[in-house]
Amino acid sequence: MTEPIRTILQESRPDQAVIDRYARAAAGLIGAENVSANHVDLLSTCRDYWPVNSIWMLEGAVPALPQLVVWPQSTEEVSQLLALANEQRIPVVPYGEGSGALGGVIPLRGGVMIDLKRMNKLRSLDQKNLLVTVEAGVNGELYEEHLNRAGYTGGHFPQSLRCSTVGGWLACRAAGQFSTRYGKIEDIAVSTEAVLADGTIFRGRRVPRSSTGPRVDRLMIGSEGIFGVITAATLRVWPLPEKRHLASYTFENLDDGLEAIRLVMRSGARPAVVRLYDAVETGNHFPELSDQRCALILLIEGARTIVDAEQEVIAEHVLANGAEESGSKYVEHWLETRFNISAASRLLQKGAVLDTIEVTTNWHNALSTYLAMQEALKGVEGTIMASGHWSHVYPEGAALYMTVVGFPAEDKITYYKKLWQGAMDASLAEGAAISHHHGIGLHRGLWMAEEHGKGLEVLRRIKGALDPHGIMNPGKLGLEEVAKWQK
Amino acid sequence: MAEVNMEELLNCALCPNICRCECPVLQVLGREAVAPSGKARLAAMLQQKQLNWDEQVLEAVSNCLGCRGCTIYCPFAELSLCDELLNTRLDAKDGGIKLSVVDPCLVNLSKHGSPYGQKKGSSAAGDSGAEILYFAGCTSQANHPESIEAARALFREAGVPFQMIEEDCCGYPAEVWGDEELARQLAAENRRKIAESGASTLVTNCPECWLTFTDRYPAWGEELPQEVVDGPTYFLGLIKAGKLKPRQSSLGKVSYHDPCIWARTAEKTAEPREILERIPGLSLEEPLSCGKFTRCCGGGSMFQLSFPEASAAIADRRLAEFPEGAAIITACPFCREGLLQDGEGRRVLELIELLAKTCCR
Repeated sequence: MTEPIRTILQESRPDQAVIDRYARAAAGLIGAENVSANHVDLLSTCRDYWPVNSIWMLEGAVPALPQLVVWPQSTEEVSQLLALANEQRIPVVPYGEGSGALGGVIPLRGGVMIDLKRMNKLRSLDQKNLLVTVEAGVNGELYEEHLNRAGYTGGHFPQSLRCSTVGGWLACRAAGQFSTRYGKIEDIAVSTEAVLADGTIFRGRRVPRSSTGPRVDRLMIGSEGIFGVITAATLRVWPLPEKRHLASYTFENLDDGLEAIRLVMRSGARPAVVRLYDAVETGNHFPELSDQRCALILLIEGARTIVDAEQEVIAEHVLANGAEESGSKYVEHWLETRFNISAASRLLQKGAVLDTIEVTTNWHNALSTYLAMQEALKGVEGTIMASGHWSHVYPEGAALYMTVVGFPAEDKITYYKKLWQGAMDASLAEGAAISHHHGIGLHRGLWMAEEHGKGLEVLRRIKGALDPHGIMNPGKLGLEEVAKWQK
Repeated sequence: MAEVNMEELLNCALCPNICRCECPVLQVLGREAVAPSGKARLAAMLQQKQLNWDEQVLEAVSNCLGCRGCTIYCPFAELSLCDELLNTRLDAKDGGIKLSVVDPCLVNLSKHGSPYGQKKGSSAAGDSGAEILYFAGCTSQANHPESIEAARALFREAGVPFQMIEEDCCGYPAEVWGDEELARQLAAENRRKIAESGASTLVTNCPECWLTFTDRYPAWGEELPQEVVDGPTYFLGLIKAGKLKPRQSSLGKVSYHDPCIWARTAEKTAEPREILERIPGLSLEEPLSCGKFTRCCGGGSMFQLSFPEASAAIADRRLAEFPEGAAIITACPFCREGLLQDGEGRRVLELIELLAKTCCR
């Protein structure tokens, strides 16, 4: 016999008798085929793609285990399942496709995983108003494929497109690679439909905007499951672009590149993709380019005449800032490889610790934040690479995305925590936001107090009002201390 | 027995799986345990003795169509999760675990040489000593004798002598169900009969048989002495040689479903389309996913027998990708069965039957 699987972060769990009763009642509500206490289902939903989970997996452990998995197929079923869990004080964690990077779905206190993947219908496509209403569990690539068939795009292409759900995008406040033109998920979402901890269903209105007090359905965007379950959303769509223009440039240094982008954004041009790589990443992604220079790749798309005009304005600004043209082939290469993250699997097996840490900078501190974070990451013994790029560009700043790889001599988790402490301290000291689009989950909750100040208490009060028994995704977003995961 | 490649298995287990959108089983069941990485993690845990075999584990790692849809976007060039899962399942028998739902099928294979039970009659036919051996496969033998009739008619029309042997199942179902010993027994028996036939070329219209003959038989030490040719390539050759002359078809709009093995393993996507193009009166319209991007019909890895409900749901999902009003043409007996699960009663034909209808008097 094998030993029982080791759990690292498991806190208290409801009595099994309580779960068994819940399972019987849930089976009565949604059908026994949609309820499972099968150990393979529990093992499979207990984690996401937080690198620490991968380290533990290679050591034969899991972060924590749920006690039940349920697959509702309608918003009403979600409501019934939550109301029942609320009565019994059973923890509930919503689950999409598990591509989160910060341990956001770890069932720290056992309970029930609500897997949304059987809610995967595209309810309506309103071509007149350019709106689609879609259920939370649909896979991102299949969502986009469906829209493309009808001549539209959803404009949202996170690196996880093929391994994430629409509900996951909303829950973690995601950003896609084409976000400078189409916006982030909160810009794309017109309204959400959600269920609160006590089973209350509420839906936002699908109007462009309203001046009717705070839009409460927008509270769900970025809530990472702590208030309830997002079950559907109405999102903006766009006609498929008439023209796409690809361009790349190199700069002698990051300062020139950042200034060029700032001026492009100031001009009013809105390229879909803007990515400026430091010299290390330029060398890694585009070996033909000199690793002494910094590559900028741009993708502009939309109506032909607008693309032509934007192309002209953008070229003017980047060339005036010392850029050298590199043609379209590097952008084509990026388009072909942009979802590929195979290096992580290989490096982890070789004993590496790695992660990506994205923060938001303004223009005035873009370079200084990069330098400070890089210095902090390189300063931890064992680090062999700390690189970065900017993407998701705004008139007032950009997302900075750092990648770090190390082979620590010390315990991997200790090393991992040192990396993050250094990166977060540097980011906070420079005035950046501690996350741009990966969200908070479990791990980044350790810095939520520094990020929000009194704002975190406001968030706690809202949580207390919407989920008084604290059943929804406990231990996440830094709202409470998790004894087994400290700095 | 083939070894599990632990490094490749872990590459998948540690990956967020950009293939998830192309795993039909995951997309219809919505269960993490049957996601590519979910299955890879369970398989890795079995290898590392962190998990024991039980029917729940076997059920999860058997939930693979072998369609290689997960290879479309897979960043690991050397990884074939379908093969790793198949190799993983071969260990289950030693652990005393089997899928109870396929137990009767394994008994049938052992007793009758067919997963479907006692054969309906002898399959031996044709001209003894002919250079061409046609191997129909157990699914056509049991469920679609009309496709075998079509093949015979085409050989006669082309004036090509052919023979058929008393076939046993090629061994594919036994292997996907984890009984390699039985698969090898069936292979040895088939190889003996095929070798004794004296034919120089074996033609098969069943992709599963083709895969087993060309890939598994050599691995089991049962390599066939003949050249093994897929049906679409062979019959296209007869058309090109002027031996078959397709006449007008009244079918009108048709859409071709690429069987996974023909498209992704054999890379035979052009040949069937060229046959369709040479039949006057047809207009070919592609389904949403086609060629090497094809999506499984729900018939891979004997799913219709192992997991009939999931198989039907996968077929529904695939059928929704075809243009309205088009007859669906395919070149695999399992795909034919999968797509015939269509509740809307769409016309589904094997390419070989369509060809026979237009070529033979």
